[in-house]
Order: sequence, then structure tokens, then C-alpha cells
Amino acid sequence: MTWLSNGSPSWQWFHRLGSPRWFYHRSGRWLPWLSLAALLVLLNGLVWGLAFAPEDAKQGNSFRIIYIHVPAAFLAQSGYFIMAIAGAIGLIWKMKISYMVMKSAAPIGAVLTFIALFTGAVWGKPTWGAYWVWDARITSMLILLFLYAGVIALQYAYHSVDAASKASAILALVGTVNIPIINKSVDWWYTLHQPATIKLTSAPSMHMDMFMPLLVMIVGFYLFYAVALILHTRNEILRRERKTSWVRELANAKAGR
Amino acid sequence: MYFENFQALMHMDGHGVYVWSAVAVTVVALLWLIIAPLAKQRGLLKEISRDIQREQDRQHATNNIPDSVDSKESV
Repeated sequence: MTWLSNGSPSWQWFHRLGSPRWFYHRSGRWLPWLSLAALLVLLNGLVWGLAFAPEDAKQGNSFRIIYIHVPAAFLAQSGYFIMAIAGAIGLIWKMKISYMVMKSAAPIGAVLTFIALFTGAVWGKPTWGAYWVWDARITSMLILLFLYAGVIALQYAYHSVDAASKASAILALVGTVNIPIINKSVDWWYTLHQPATIKLTSAPSMHMDMFMPLLVMIVGFYLFYAVALILHTRNEILRRERKTSWVRELANAKAGR
Repeated sequence: MYFENFQALMHMDGHGVYVWSAVAVTVVALLWLIIAPLAKQRGLLKEISRDIQREQDRQHATNNIPDSVDSKESV
């Protein structure tokens, strides 16, 4: 593959991005700014949504849970795509860093899915009168949680890192079937869950005063996701590259030697 | 602010307990996703530098063996 990096400059970024060392150093420079942006956007959106947005005519103030429930559910699904695509890139191009990203995305996605399920249950009590109902949307989200758990478990089921990565990538790819099911579940089956608030193809079914903070929260969750994914991936780089000279130099520098 | 005062914001007409518990659990879960890898990174770097130290100690030990043999011969 050296002819690619020598010959065409357009491929250089792809190879650099695939280099764990380059990623570690570059992401270290991005992290402070990205973290600051995530914190500011999330705080802004949360205060706006919880204290300033008007209450819902039917649900009252309990609807404010939407400002964490929807962004978490959004990122739980986006995060699944990121994990599956990273797995596919690993399978096809054998790019080292992509398997590390895939492994790192699993626990983050699992926590976000848990947040979506938990906040949904808490929202369900005052709205539906029950914390949990076995309807299509909730059940398919629970399956998403199990898929994330499956990818995490497979990472530890093999002695060889390579075999674990391949098996995880295949499970992640097969599991993407679940994502359109989650999306369409409110249309395909009779359900208590309200239909989508945000659709790319039409105007939001929400008043602008309520919708704007939600949009801010979704952007904030994306920024947060980027920070969390980079932090987890950097650890995975240290773990797998611990024998290389640059990681050893880094460890020595941190230890003051 | 939409609410008249801080107490109204906390109470939210009876829905406060749901909204704020959902927020609290979310904040804790998100913080954990940041704090856990940061702690892990510190641990990993320490572990790696300890391994290097141990390796160097072992190298010193093996390098010293011929010396001791020499000193015996000279006696």
C-alpha cells in the first residue's frame, strides 16, 4: 500500500488517520476544545429545556424529559452505526485503528441506550401510568442494549485480539438490521410510544420554543459522544501499542523519567 | 425563566421528581463515560512505565553476572 501514500496526496489523510500514533497525538490537541464545546452546549441546552421552554399542553412538565431522552436515543442509534461502520472498515481494509474505535463505541453506546431506556421508563410513569410496557419501540431498544452487550462480551471471548475484533465486527454488522426496526416500530406496530418528533423530511411536530433546546441538546450529545469515543479509543491505542517506542517514551515522560 | 421561582422549578407541578431523577441519572452516567477512561489512561501509563523500569532492572541484573564471574576469576 506504500504506493498509495507516496503517489497520491489525497490518500495520505486516510493512511495517517489509520496510524494510531498520529491519531493519539492529533486527538490530544482536539480534546480540550471539543470537551469545552460539549460542556457549554449541553449546559445551555439543559438549562433552556428544563427552565425556560414552555410546558407541554397535554403532558405538563414531565415532557421536559424529552431533552435528555431523545438525544440519548438518537446517539444510541447513531453510535451503533459508527460502531458497525468501524467494524466494516476493519474487516475490509484491516485498518488497525478502526477495530479500536469499534471496541470503544460499544460501552458508550450501551450507556446511552441505558439512559434512553431509563429516562423513557421514568417518563412513562406520569404519562402512561407504567414504567415499562412491552411494546415494539421499547423492546427493540432493549435488543439494541443486548447487541451492544454482545459486542462487549465478544471482545473478551477470544484469546486473539484479531479473532475478537472480527467476530465483534460481524455481530455489529448483522445487528444493524435492528436500527430501521427501532425507527419504524412506532409506525408498524400499535404502540403507546409517541411518533417521531423530528423527521428529516418534514417540519418538527413541536413548537419552535420547545424544539430549539432539543436541537441544541442533540448537538451537545454528538459533541459529548465525540469526546467519549476519542477518550476510550486513546486508551485502546495505549493498550495495543504498549510495546512500541512512542508509547514507551510517552509513559516515561508522564512518569517524569 | 418559565417558572416563577426556584421551588416551582424543582417541583414542576408534581412532575419534578420524575424530571430531576431522569436528569440526575443521566448526568452520573455521562460523567462516568468521561471519568472512567481518564482514570484508566493514568493507570495504563503508570503500568507501562513500571514495566519499562522492571525490564531495565532485569537488564542491569543480567549485565552484572559476567562482572561477578570476572571478579571470581581474578581472586
